[in-house]
Amino acid sequence: MPPELTKEVAQKLMEIKGEVRGVVFKTDAEYVLKEKGEEGLKKVEEELEKLGYPIKYKEIKTLNYYPVGLRIISLLTIKKVFDFDEKKIEEMGFFATKISLIPRLFIKYVFSFSKIFFEQGPRIWREHWTVGELIPVELNEEKKYAILNLKSFTLHPIYCSYLKGYFSGLFQRMVKSPKITCEETKCTFRGDKYHEFLLKW
Amino acid sequence: MVAEREQEKISILLEDLASLESYARDLLNFLPLPVCLVSSIGIILEANPAFEKISGYKIEEAIGKPIEDIFVKEEIEEVSKATLEKGFIKGKEINLLTKDKRKIPVSVSTLLRKSEEGEIIGYFLALFDLTDIKKAEAEIKRRIEELEKLREKEIILRIRERAKTKDIERKVKELEEMRKALMNILEDVEEERKKAEEEKNKTLAIINNLADGLLVFDKEGKVSLINPQAEKFFGVKEKEVVGKSILELNQFDNFRPIVEMVGSEIKEMFRKEVFIKENLVLEVTTLPMVREGEKFGTLMILHDVTREKEIERMKSEFVSISAHQLRTPLSAIKWTLRMFLDGDLGEITKEQREFLERIYKSNERMISLINDLLNVTRIEEGRYVYKPTPVDVAQICQSTIELYKEEIERKNLELIFKKPQELPKVMADVEKISLAIQNLLENAIRYTLPGGKVEIVLEKKENEIQFLIKDTGIGIPKDQQGRVFTKFFRAPNAMKIDTQGSGLGLFITKNIIEAHGGKIWFESEEGKGTIFYFTLPITEVIEKRY
Repeated sequence: MPPELTKEVAQKLMEIKGEVRGVVFKTDAEYVLKEKGEEGLKKVEEELEKLGYPIKYKEIKTLNYYPVGLRIISLLTIKKVFDFDEKKIEEMGFFATKISLIPRLFIKYVFSFSKIFFEQGPRIWREHWTVGELIPVELNEEKKYAILNLKSFTLHPIYCSYLKGYFSGLFQRMVKSPKITCEETKCTFRGDKYHEFLLKW
Repeated sequence: MVAEREQEKISILLEDLASLESYARDLLNFLPLPVCLVSSIGIILEANPAFEKISGYKIEEAIGKPIEDIFVKEEIEEVSKATLEKGFIKGKEINLLTKDKRKIPVSVSTLLRKSEEGEIIGYFLALFDLTDIKKAEAEIKRRIEELEKLREKEIILRIRERAKTKDIERKVKELEEMRKALMNILEDVEEERKKAEEEKNKTLAIINNLADGLLVFDKEGKVSLINPQAEKFFGVKEKEVVGKSILELNQFDNFRPIVEMVGSEIKEMFRKEVFIKENLVLEVTTLPMVREGEKFGTLMILHDVTREKEIERMKSEFVSISAHQLRTPLSAIKWTLRMFLDGDLGEITKEQREFLERIYKSNERMISLINDLLNVTRIEEGRYVYKPTPVDVAQICQSTIELYKEEIERKNLELIFKKPQELPKVMADVEKISLAIQNLLENAIRYTLPGGKVEIVLEKKENEIQFLIKDTGIGIPKDQQGRVFTKFFRAPNAMKIDTQGSGLGLFITKNIIEAHGGKIWFESEEGKGTIFYFTLPITEVIEKRY
């Protein structure tokens, strides 16, 4: 059970090395605006200020890099302010793929699913993060499943839920299926060496 | 220093990229045209607010959706195929399916998107909502159709108007023709009416000036017309009798004999004499007036026979007196001659006998003629008295035959007399019936050539006895048969054979038979023979008829 977000905890999170593109803050803000409106976003910003890490979401530069710790604080603050559960966090990840600049601009949606999966998957990760490595392990179009490994990425358990939604959203752009599911089959927070995600459609 | 410089360049590029992304997003958001980006396999990757608005799907709902979920599958597949093949399409009309299941007509244009390596990575798809245009088109079409309909209606109305006009013209023409025809008919009717009027006037003039009296009775038996002559006969005025029934006419004394004779039903009769009053005897004939097989009245013709009757009476009187005056000397002559012939006055020579016999026969014929004349006179004067007694007619026949036995033998005739074993007696005047049978048998013998055949047959019918006297004689010419029972009638062929007949026998016979309540008739064919029939009623008691 991760500790409750406090100033101290936030300070500790900020010590995690690595950066992330500003686009993730943008997608967070968009989701809050969609779900809770301007008031909701204001509450989040106020809470962040209380933590001593004020974020003005609208001022965030989409393609600039920001500390990964700040992103974790942003997610945890949103979760805290609105008492979001894991499902809601997963939904935030799914929503991000719809509006995020990176899947929209930087993925080449060629005919070959395999090419997108194996070549562009790692790139997308790299477009976002300076930490961690996304490895496409297996793609079985016939049986309709894929396996992704995420290595060197042990930031915070909240990301596990978020990424399930995010990967599902990305796959929706690549396969025609009414329902895509993502299951985290391995997790560093459960003692595994890496995270493993099984996607089915 | 170089690293710093490179870092600065990257920062500038990133800022440019962010600006570009912002620009692109703003532009996409601003575009009033619905636009979306579709992947090479047909998944929506990007959509703008205008697309959100037209489709009803929120952008995040639309993204990741197969394009065929938002358009009619067959139509969008054709669009996709054409885009991938040609690189673009322009203004293709297809149907968009909204989230709330509505179908919106849209015009789509596409543009193929490729990577730097030339690989197809999807295509842009822009829509133009044709709803309003379609509505406008539909409205225009509807209005055109309405206009067409109106035009058609107008044309139909015009045609109908024309037809009506023509119909009216035709009807007017027909009416005009009908009017002319009616006028012609009216003219014809008027002409006919005038003719009928003239005819009526003529008829009235004839009726009014007719020497005979005329009475017309309508269907109900009431007097509808009486001419001046009839008024004169009965001493009445038209207004006194018109509308009165025959029985009501009984109130007038002069009508009474007529009413008694014709009865309440105005019996049909032909030339029946009736004594009206002193110096007026009328001969009455009543005839039914029939039109198209239906009786609509009765015509009574009254012919004044007073003068004829008077002349006849005077003639009969003259004949009667003459006959009486002649019969006495003829009887004296007869008996004197008889005495000569019987030798009561001395012997006579053969030659004298022959002369005397001839004179005797001539005298006999003269007496017979005188008797006939007297009988006729009596008949006509109603003085022919009958004395009926029960008589055996077969015996009378036999006696009569006996009288002519010599003549039959002399002419070598075959005489057959047939009678039933028993015959009832009839009430008859023996003398008169004998005379009637004599007349008939004498005629049969006289007008049958030697070697011929005469047959007398008596038969009992229901309530009468029928006499049949048949000969194979000269017969009566067809054209003379209607006059057989009239006075002094002798057929030309009969006069050639025998010049002795008076022509009174059958007249007397008929009167005798009818006076006994019987009937007499005959069948004859010239050159073959004649059959006379007469009947006498069995039970009837003969009374004085005249």
